[in-house]
Amino acid sequence: MTRLLYRVLLCLHPPAFRRQFAGEMLWIFDETACAAAWMLLADALISLARQWLLRSGAWKLLAAGAGGLIQITVGGLGLFLVRRFHGPELSRMHAPMATDMARLIYLAVWVVGAVVCSVIALSLWVKDFTGRRIHHDA
Amino acid sequence: MNEDFAPFLPLSPAALHILLALAGEDRHGYGIMQEVARQSEGQYRIGPGTLYDNLQKLMTQGIVEEAASPGRNDDPRRRYYRLTRFGRALLAAEVERLDTVIREARIHLRAHPRRAT
Repeated sequence: MTRLLYRVLLCLHPPAFRRQFAGEMLWIFDETACAAAWMLLADALISLARQWLLRSGAWKLLAAGAGGLIQITVGGLGLFLVRRFHGPELSRMHAPMATDMARLIYLAVWVVGAVVCSVIALSLWVKDFTGRRIHHDA
Repeated sequence: MNEDFAPFLPLSPAALHILLALAGEDRHGYGIMQEVARQSEGQYRIGPGTLYDNLQKLMTQGIVEEAASPGRNDDPRRRYYRLTRFGRALLAAEVERLDTVIREARIHLRAHPRRAT
């Protein structure tokens, strides 16, 4: 059971690291399993976090995602406030400036969201592609 | 040979212990873990996650490289590692640096033995 869990944790590591070291790490687990299985599991868990967050550069994607979310939240809040305080006036007076501002916020939110999503998708694709190429070349 | 070790020094404790474990002979990952525990008399242990994270970095920097397996009946999953010439010189530079630090520390502790209490 612990071996299976350890294997799953190894499979979740970034592809380059997994291809290079997972077999050997599993061998070490087999050699020492009885004595320190839970310690090895904890070590694999820490390693998993370290490899994804620090070594693979995924923290940049997380930061980009968080930045996008903050922007979307702020934009949404702005939109909410505009509607909350100027909503009745807007509908009565058809104030073109306020509606334009609301549209602008809508547009900004969608553009930022789309850019963030594209960057994340593109980075993941490029990483996967180059990882496969490196593996092939090796 | 005039190599610049400044960007690599000081070594992290894990890297230092791994290089020390490889200084005597080529070892596989588990062998490195055991040697590190032996050299530190059990006071410092590294898990496989830390070990391979460091090995990956050290190999990228050209300090450690993969070596041929010495045994015919070895488990194919077992891979051996050794110090490169640059890695050995780097280890010597780090030991020299630590030696200077210890010498300085001894001088200061001898000069002011009561300040520590």
